Amino acid sequence: MSGVKLSQLVKRYGDLEVVKAIDLEVQPHEFVVLVGPSGCGKSTTLRMIAGLEEISGGEVTIGDRVVNRVAPKDRDVAMVFQNYALYPHLNVADNIAFGLRIRKTPKDQVQKMVAEVAEILGLTPYLDRRPADLSGGQRQRVAMGRAIVRHPLVFLFDEPLSNLDAKLRSQMRAEIKRLHKRLDVTSIYVTHDQVEAMTLADRIVVMNDGAIEQVGTPMELFLNPVNTFVAGFIGSPPMNQIRAEISGSSNAPVAKIGDQLLPLPASADVADRMGADVTVGIRPEHAEVHSLGTSPLNVELELVETLGSEALLHTKLADTPFIIKTETEEHFSTLDQVSAFSVNPHQIKVFDIDTGRVLGQAGA
Amino acid sequence: MQSESRLSKIGYHLRREWQIYVMLLPTIIWFIVFLYKPMYGLQIAFKDYSIFRGVDGSPWIGFEHFEFLFSNDQFIRAFWNTIIISGLNLLFGFPAPIILALLFNEILHATYKKTAQTIVYLPHFISSVIIAGIVITAFSPSVGIVNTVLGWFGIDSIYFLTKPEWFRPIFVGTGIWQEAGFGSIVFLAAIAGVNPSLYESAVVDGANRWQMMWKITIPSILPTILIMLIIRIGNVMEVSFELIILLYQPATYSTADVVNTFVYRQGIQSGQYDFAAAAGLFNAVVAFVLVMIANTLSKRYSRTSLW
Amino acid sequence: MRKHLLTTAIAATLVASTPALADGHLEIVSGEPLELTIQMNHARYPVYKEDWPVEQKARELTNVHLIDVTVGANMRTDENSGKTEALNLMLASGEIPDIVGSSRIKDFVNQYGPEGAFLPLNDLIDEHAPNLKAFFEERPEIAAAISAADGNMYYIPYLPDGKYGRAYWIRTDWLNTLGLDMPETVEEYEEVLRAFKTQDPNGNGIADEVPYFARQWPELIRLVTLWDGRSSGSDTYHDFMVVDGKLAHPYAGEGYREGIKNLARWYDEGLVDAEIFTRGSSARDFLLSENLGGSTHDWFASTSGYNRLSSDIEGFEFKAMAPPASVSGKRIEEHRRIPIKPDGWAIGGTNKHPVETIKYFDFWFTEEGRRLANFGVEGMHYDMVDGKAIFKQEFLDAGPVNRSLYQVGSQLQGRGYYQDYGYEIQWSNEFALEGIALYDEGDYLIDQFLGVAFNADEQRVYDRYWGSIRDYMLERQQAWVLGNGDVEEEWDDYMAQLEKKGLSQVLEVMQSAYDRQYGG
Repeated sequence: MSGVKLSQLVKRYGDLEVVKAIDLEVQPHEFVVLVGPSGCGKSTTLRMIAGLEEISGGEVTIGDRVVNRVAPKDRDVAMVFQNYALYPHLNVADNIAFGLRIRKTPKDQVQKMVAEVAEILGLTPYLDRRPADLSGGQRQRVAMGRAIVRHPLVFLFDEPLSNLDAKLRSQMRAEIKRLHKRLDVTSIYVTHDQVEAMTLADRIVVMNDGAIEQVGTPMELFLNPVNTFVAGFIGSPPMNQIRAEISGSSNAPVAKIGDQLLPLPASADVADRMGADVTVGIRPEHAEVHSLGTSPLNVELELVETLGSEALLHTKLADTPFIIKTETEEHFSTLDQVSAFSVNPHQIKVFDIDTGRVLGQAGA
Repeated sequence: MQSESRLSKIGYHLRREWQIYVMLLPTIIWFIVFLYKPMYGLQIAFKDYSIFRGVDGSPWIGFEHFEFLFSNDQFIRAFWNTIIISGLNLLFGFPAPIILALLFNEILHATYKKTAQTIVYLPHFISSVIIAGIVITAFSPSVGIVNTVLGWFGIDSIYFLTKPEWFRPIFVGTGIWQEAGFGSIVFLAAIAGVNPSLYESAVVDGANRWQMMWKITIPSILPTILIMLIIRIGNVMEVSFELIILLYQPATYSTADVVNTFVYRQGIQSGQYDFAAAAGLFNAVVAFVLVMIANTLSKRYSRTSLW
Repeated sequence: MRKHLLTTAIAATLVASTPALADGHLEIVSGEPLELTIQMNHARYPVYKEDWPVEQKARELTNVHLIDVTVGANMRTDENSGKTEALNLMLASGEIPDIVGSSRIKDFVNQYGPEGAFLPLNDLIDEHAPNLKAFFEERPEIAAAISAADGNMYYIPYLPDGKYGRAYWIRTDWLNTLGLDMPETVEEYEEVLRAFKTQDPNGNGIADEVPYFARQWPELIRLVTLWDGRSSGSDTYHDFMVVDGKLAHPYAGEGYREGIKNLARWYDEGLVDAEIFTRGSSARDFLLSENLGGSTHDWFASTSGYNRLSSDIEGFEFKAMAPPASVSGKRIEEHRRIPIKPDGWAIGGTNKHPVETIKYFDFWFTEEGRRLANFGVEGMHYDMVDGKAIFKQEFLDAGPVNRSLYQVGSQLQGRGYYQDYGYEIQWSNEFALEGIALYDEGDYLIDQFLGVAFNADEQRVYDRYWGSIRDYMLERQQAWVLGNGDVEEEWDDYMAQLEKKGLSQVLEVMQSAYDRQYGG
């Protein structure tokens, strides 16, 4: 089993740099998800690993081999495409066997391997069908079957679930997770959906504008985003970001939001910015409305969105939209009367207003 | 009772979707005016037609025109010539644009590709008269390029256009030269419609270009190929007769004379529209039967069909 | 300059005499002018133009105004369909104008006239058209030739004047170069052609000369007359002929067989253009201007014009030669201008003024009308000199005279009129005139078959058999000449095939039609 290493990887189209010298090391067996908005370069990065895009600069290493000049077929990777890339004229069995046949695998072996994969993916009853006669989820499974059957060193997934409806997606997510556990193959997975990233990844790579913003486990990213971008991208709904002015003292700094004061965790970075504006980040989950702690903040409730066990309260804090996520169970009848929340200062993030970088959390 | 409810259903449908039916109208009118109404005139195939008396005023004569056709050994010969020339056209002329399209698809250099395409499309836009002139010159025994080249190998010059055995190869070859490029457009369009990730997936799977062509491109455009083939079979009786008229000689009638040229000499030239209509009707019947057969076969074996 | 003054002077005197002509003796109706509608399509003048000076003059003289209502106007020149397409469209439109003029109108009116589309003219001519009547009385064969199967005339033809069409032409400068005499017999002609082939008369060191060539390949078959065969009975290729009152086809004759045998030999030897069957209409232009062609058989007027090449090719001289004597010593020129064309005009079946219309037709056969049809308008295009119409110099200088005449409404072949050869002689070049004089002297022309009008039964037999027979004849003919078969060996089989394909039935119906029409 081998890992994948990207060093100073660059992709340029003419003068336009779409991947900007990124470094990334994917450990053997690891499931890494590249996530980011459209056009952030994540798919391009994946395609460079697959060998479908030429590498403009830097190196891709698979195992201990630099594969920049290695043909896709010799990189021993398998890829699952967004729109399945199934051959409409071949039935399921032939689709799965395609790669094997191209490699001139002996016939009886092909049959055995296809049967095995079909069994794993629950496709055995459909082996004789054409893709047109399959459901979306079945097609997606066939696409994965095509990848699995070759026993590659690395799996590459290019937004494989984005053509499915929500229910199927969560089902397939679980299936992919299970599959990875079973096969234990190094996987790199591209998606723009942070939920997929959070649920599937051993580690998440957040990309934006051709560069990596942060690499870490899902919880690391959730709890300790290094900048406003990651904070805004990970989590659903994303972290609330409010402009505030630092005041109080170095030891007990507070954020002045409108005319309300919010205690902040003390740090040198924060102390340096006394009197300056910052962005204060509060996760919707961390706003407490039922047992108000110290110095609650008043908000103006605009809308209650009930999701079942949870509810989203759309409020305004100093004229800025602010979302609070709360349990419904015990307090359902009082939700529409919420007018303030409190938050544990240690769960508050403070970001530089200009660079967006988190303050007071070096290395944390 | 049931038909009434069905009528009211149609009425409701018409009221609701009338915009769509209005859009359909021009096509229907076109069909009525240019196809169905002229069908009324087909009856002159069974009449002693006079333009002055009109379709209705001309007397019925039954199958006399058809009897004349089938009792005429030149018509029989022309019929077989049509089948043979069409068969050769199908055999060599039909795959040519497909091959060309596949070749174009493999050219990566954009400018080179565009230039090459433009060059092969050009002959399509040249009038048959010019094409015939080019062919006559190219195969001329004294100055023709073909005989010049043959001369380099010590082969005596051949007066190709008067040799019955050479007519079909020259005609079919000319047809390919003239139409293969333009015909490749539809296949290029079909190829462009193939999902690019199929190729990427195949690249990752390790397929080379040749394998991708055979295992992806051709199967993917197969429905297009079959539809074009069925349409082509429907036109089997319609060999491009202007070009034949321009290229053939009495000396090559034995291989070159097709139903349309025969009809032209016998019918149109002496204003016998009734006779020409009979031959045209016969052509249409043959073509219709062929299309039915081809369509049924295609439907059965490849799920692709015209209807 | 002096000439110009002269013509001006003559014109001046003529203007003085003009009022005497316009005395109204040609007027057909008095008072309000009579308007007649006309369809006239021709490749060179697709519609009838009411502002043609000739039409204007005719209006003035006859008080009949022709109004153009042509449908299906086209300028196509292909053998039959291009010419009759407009007529078919007109008929299909359901409205037939008062007057219908066209080339190739004969078969058309003979088919649809008896059905009622056109008026029979015989009685109208007898009663109202003294000039036409006089003409047909003088030329009964013409009246016979244009009659339909029911014995009626349905159109007034365009009647070409002048006898000569094609002639043999030869590079006389090549003869001089090689020290040869003008060939007088077929043997000598063959020797000359061989000398052209082998002795490099164009002096470029390559044997690239093409001794005999033709724009229309049937002009090669024409040479069978040198072995006493025939290639056609009329000015149409492959046509029937009349021998002693009996219809026959030239391609079934002994002389033809002998001729083809020898032409195959000529072809094989290279005395004939190797590409004669495909060279096409540009053959003459190409081979003469490239200094390659030696001899041909082609029209006087256009071929003589190539002597202008002498400015490019040193010594170039292309002259008419008398037809070489055949193996039996006969000298014939098979081609001539046919005295009567299938072109002309007819009266539509719904015409309300048949009498006035036939009088109008008759007007064009009066002296004034014929001059108007041939020369244009007096004082404008020509002047009268010693009783002859002489074109004005500026008119002659204004480009091809026949084209200029179409443009003023003269020499329209969609009009029934009697051509005056005097019109053409005034602008023929010296080589043409010299050639015509040569042919006049020898009297080489032979009688022509003027065609027959079938009744319905005859037509059916003809249609059934003739197409196949003609195709077969031409197929074998080319094969023999090209050496893809041997005429001597295959002749009996060929004749048997013709018989099997129904040649005798065709000849039989032609004979019965001929006998009826020409009083056989």
